[in-house]
Amino acid sequence: MDTESLTEETLLHSGRESARVADFLRSQGLQLDDDVEFTVVLAAQGSIAATGSFAGRVLKCIAVDPQYLQSGLSAKIVTRLIREEYILGRTHLFLFTRPANVPIFSSFGFYIVHVVPSQVALMENVPNGIQRFLRTLSTSAPKGKNAAAIVVNCNPFTLGHKHLIEYAAARCDMLHLFVVSEDKSSFPADVRYRLVVEGTKNIAHVHVHKGGDYIISAATFPTYFIKEYQEQVETHALLDIGIFGTRIAPALGIVKRYVGEEPFCKVTATYNRIMQDVLPRYGVDLEVIPRLTSGGGAVSASRVRALMREGKLEQTRELVPDSTYAFLMSEEARPVIRRIQEAGQRH
Amino acid sequence: MKIKDVGIAGTLESSDISIRIENSESEGIEIELKSSVENQFGNQIRKVITQTLLDMGVQHAAVHAVDKGALDCTIRARVMTAVSRATKRNCIPWEVDRCAE
Amino acid sequence: MRRSMLYVPGNNPGMIRDVHIYRSDAIMFDLEDSVSLNEKDAARMLLYNSLLTFDFGQAEILVRVNGLNTAFGRDDFEAIVRARPDAIRLPKTDTPEDVVEADELISGIERQSGIETGSIKLVAAIESALGVINAPRIAMASGRLIGMALGAEDFVTDLKTSRSADGIELLTARSMVLFAARAAGIDAFDTVFPDVNDEEGFIREVKLIKQLGFDGKSIINPRQIEIVHQIFTPTEAEITYAMRVLEAIREAESKGSGVISLNGKMIDKPIVERARRVLAFAEAAGGQAG
Repeated sequence: MDTESLTEETLLHSGRESARVADFLRSQGLQLDDDVEFTVVLAAQGSIAATGSFAGRVLKCIAVDPQYLQSGLSAKIVTRLIREEYILGRTHLFLFTRPANVPIFSSFGFYIVHVVPSQVALMENVPNGIQRFLRTLSTSAPKGKNAAAIVVNCNPFTLGHKHLIEYAAARCDMLHLFVVSEDKSSFPADVRYRLVVEGTKNIAHVHVHKGGDYIISAATFPTYFIKEYQEQVETHALLDIGIFGTRIAPALGIVKRYVGEEPFCKVTATYNRIMQDVLPRYGVDLEVIPRLTSGGGAVSASRVRALMREGKLEQTRELVPDSTYAFLMSEEARPVIRRIQEAGQRH
Repeated sequence: MKIKDVGIAGTLESSDISIRIENSESEGIEIELKSSVENQFGNQIRKVITQTLLDMGVQHAAVHAVDKGALDCTIRARVMTAVSRATKRNCIPWEVDRCAE
Repeated sequence: MRRSMLYVPGNNPGMIRDVHIYRSDAIMFDLEDSVSLNEKDAARMLLYNSLLTFDFGQAEILVRVNGLNTAFGRDDFEAIVRARPDAIRLPKTDTPEDVVEADELISGIERQSGIETGSIKLVAAIESALGVINAPRIAMASGRLIGMALGAEDFVTDLKTSRSADGIELLTARSMVLFAARAAGIDAFDTVFPDVNDEEGFIREVKLIKQLGFDGKSIINPRQIEIVHQIFTPTEAEITYAMRVLEAIREAESKGSGVISLNGKMIDKPIVERARRVLAFAEAAGGQAG
């Protein structure tokens, strides 16, 4: 197939352009993820031969029309995406794809982080990314004999989180807290991390780590190659828990993971159920802790955000530690409060 | 010359080589090479990369190369471009040894 | 012979490496429109290294640089002159001053790098209405000029029209480029035919421009080369006549006669030139009749 006469277009998302790409992807059994920032398309006389996109540092939605297979179009697309990312200063790149695609991305210089057979592979463009991450984890906190872990979002850090953490810390010799690093929550990642550090300052043998690129939040997990919602939720869980169990836990000698009970959110409930099934295979126990309650309800971050949305900041006083309250009352919190009120978002 | 940022040049297409260069944590020039012709040409590819860097006055760098059958002059060109981009300096090919200034 | 000038995008090592196998008369490596803005540096470096390394056989080597009014032009000249192509193609030449500026810049670089002054030639590309109007003066603007080319894509945009199958919108431009080139004694090259799948349309266009008097055409697909060479190949009858013209000259010279005639017709310089040209085309085609 003649590929030199293909024209390259880069799209920065008008509705019509996106629709064209979305249609093409659908014809290949894929979807166009909502958070895509940049798309490149190779077209012959207006019809799409190949496309690829990225959102943040994740390459996604890459597809080639079957009649152009073996024409080197995926090489062109991936080259273009990587180049654009580098121009934006993003050089550590990831992709989530079906395991069958591992060989081709491997030939493009991507390395496996983790594979859930038949479901998903996470790859990165450096040979030792996760190893470096694990090294920074273990040098910041020594390996314990009886170490435990909690993975938290803390949007923001509440007394409910503190309760869970105190419970766990009392039952192990080293508690590793991983604060999820993605920036899809209303509180920016660096603020969430800071509030966790401040809120746990006085709890013994607690180490707070930034989750980094290898604790994968459901919010940023790409689902463009998975049709069914339930399968998306499960695949994400298997991948994230798989990385935790096979890489993070052994690096720190973690033998137990704690999680707060989740009666409402179905996604979290599915995640916890999969943890229950899968973690023991990696030598990690799971314990589910009932949530702290106050005034007839759980002390949760979503309750705090609801109060913020309603402009009832003073009522958060009994739900959060002083350090978080001080933040909510500060100048710095104003844009966060505004964002929550404008979006009316649950998250 | 010190490499400050990360620079990338070249494509993943046939006959080309994609070169990424960044500062190294250790001494010397480290090369991570992916090539379908590693056995026959791996050494030669590494040699050209290293020699080009030394010619440019770069003595410490971490290089990640994905080779798709590039000839020496292509490897040389892509390395020079990657270094130019990493150092944000326009390295002049016929004065390559002066890039270190 | 510059019947076929094959375009090669400058940032493509695979194509640069293989292009000589297509045996076009000339190869034009491009740093301009086929290279995206954020790859200009890479293409320049790749081409510089490739030109100094590869042997492209008999083909004439040209490089289309970015214009001196762009951020890339100067660096392109600095690198490419030193890589010693046969000629540099100047894009979007609108005025004779554009040519003079390029000429002087090349001279400076030749001096600095010990290259014989004047050895790098120029081809001026006409791509606008202004360029067409200035074509006669552009063609005379420098001793380096070996040819003038028409670039239709940008030209029709400048005219606020689009390309059509029969090319009526290019009629005047083609004629002007041709007149200017002939008056200045340099070659005239026609523009690219962009639809690689329309072979019939391509053949029609090549026959047209040959009839108009063009020396050659820009090619974007190797499949087009053979077609151009065939159409530019003289017929058996044309070859025979040309040989007889030269025979008549030889005979007249040996007799010391000043006036040469063939079939009762006087043979003057234009006819002799034409005969030589026909035989040159014939030889290039390997003696095959068109």
